[in-house]
Amino acid sequence: MREFIAILQNELIKTIRRPRSFIGFIVIAFICLMLQGAFYQDGKEIMSAVTGQFDNLFNIQGNILNGNLICFIVLQTLIVQMPLLVAFVTGDLISGETASGSIRFLLTTPAGRTKVLIAKWLSGLMYTLLLLLLLGIFALFVSRAIFGVGDLMALNSEGLTIIRADDINWRWGLAFLIAFLSLSVVASLGTMLSCIMDNSITPIVTVMATIIIFTIIGMFDMKTFDVIKPFLFTTHMISWRSLFEDPVPVKSIIISCSILLLHIVSFLGVAIYYFKRKDITT
Amino acid sequence: MKQFLLIVLSFFCLHVSATDDPKMLIRELNKKFRAVQDYTARVRMEFDIPGVKMNTMNGKVFFKRPDRFRIRTKGIFFLPKQNPMQNMSSMLLDTNSYTSIISGYEVVNNKRCAIVNIIPLTSSNELILGKFWIDVKDPKVYKTQITTRNNGTIDTESFYSTNSSVNLPDKVVIMIETKKIRMSKMMSADIGRKSQDKAKLDEVETGTITLSFSGYKINTRFPDSELERNED
Repeated sequence: MREFIAILQNELIKTIRRPRSFIGFIVIAFICLMLQGAFYQDGKEIMSAVTGQFDNLFNIQGNILNGNLICFIVLQTLIVQMPLLVAFVTGDLISGETASGSIRFLLTTPAGRTKVLIAKWLSGLMYTLLLLLLLGIFALFVSRAIFGVGDLMALNSEGLTIIRADDINWRWGLAFLIAFLSLSVVASLGTMLSCIMDNSITPIVTVMATIIIFTIIGMFDMKTFDVIKPFLFTTHMISWRSLFEDPVPVKSIIISCSILLLHIVSFLGVAIYYFKRKDITT
Repeated sequence: MKQFLLIVLSFFCLHVSATDDPKMLIRELNKKFRAVQDYTARVRMEFDIPGVKMNTMNGKVFFKRPDRFRIRTKGIFFLPKQNPMQNMSSMLLDTNSYTSIISGYEVVNNKRCAIVNIIPLTSSNELILGKFWIDVKDPKVYKTQITTRNNGTIDTESFYSTNSSVNLPDKVVIMIETKKIRMSKMMSADIGRKSQDKAKLDEVETGTITLSFSGYKINTRFPDSELERNED
């Protein structure tokens, strides 16, 4: 166990110190601040595009443009970007070391290959968690500091759901937890591909391409795609949004979370299987 | 006997003319409106708007004549642009701006009501036609149908009990015909979910907003700042 903790510590330091890890943090902070600035300047105009269709019938009273809405919009905007940032780091956890040759030294430690792989995978998850914490701080807390707290007008393709401000914190907590589970799928996929492939770029590009293709399939309303959609992990990655419906579809959220967990276990299982049998020649 | 019949007939004619005269009904109604300079009350709002899911809300309502109306509460809520609680009294009080006729009679909430149509005298008026169901015995507005140039038609139904003498309802149900709110998948970033059937989106549905009032405080002369202040 002490060996495992030592490897994990080492892997965490390595992951955090890599320049590409900081790119993720910078991108998150930049996107959040950029969107907050844009909404601060033009928020009312942007919101009028949403509220315009019932402007002639209703007066909407209350502060629509508040921190909760900005956080909701930022999270929606980052549906595609966040997994890419995770893939950028986790996609070469093994393959990067294989390409550079340092994997041989790493495997000379008394800990077995499985422990080394799990330590690397966990360090990837820790990085993902840090990214999400940073996102939470910027998207939720900074937005609330700038725009104030208020009811959330959650937009979905079926219309609007107004979530009261005093009923929202638990939803955010669970939403970030599901977001972590979703990004863990990407981290696990990246780790798996990193074990299979020997150069550091191919797994990253493969993960990114997979996410982009799956997301595009999810966006189109076509009968052919409707058959495939339930089997794509990207479909379940956005189940955090369901927490902002009234009533909350608990059953579908549990199903989505279970499918995401199944993906994590499968990807990690395949990764361990490959890594244990991998012929290290570099 | 002839004299008796004449007296009865003339009395009957007088009664009929009173309930047939929309101006008289409006005059009686306006007396009640004039008695209320301002009021505050607790309000409970229930929403059933197509495409909008919103919980019931509680708040406080402030009104000052002629048409300053404000509901103060924490959070987001929808109110119709043509809010009858705000502008019904001011609409009827300006008797020089419209002509009125009775188009029929109808029983509403067990009350025999005259349907008084209000037609503005100028074509530039925002109001196109106002229909008011007014109790002929004790003039109170039980139903309205207001058609305006920009905001379509809004129906309301009022229920009275404790403050009926000053024409303040305990419950107002506002009915608005509206199409279901549509949100594109791109706008809502709701990937993975099927878009709504376009034909269904074009269907006109009736949305209702129910305002239940309690704890009326009438003519307390509250300061104007209460109408401006936000709920903490």
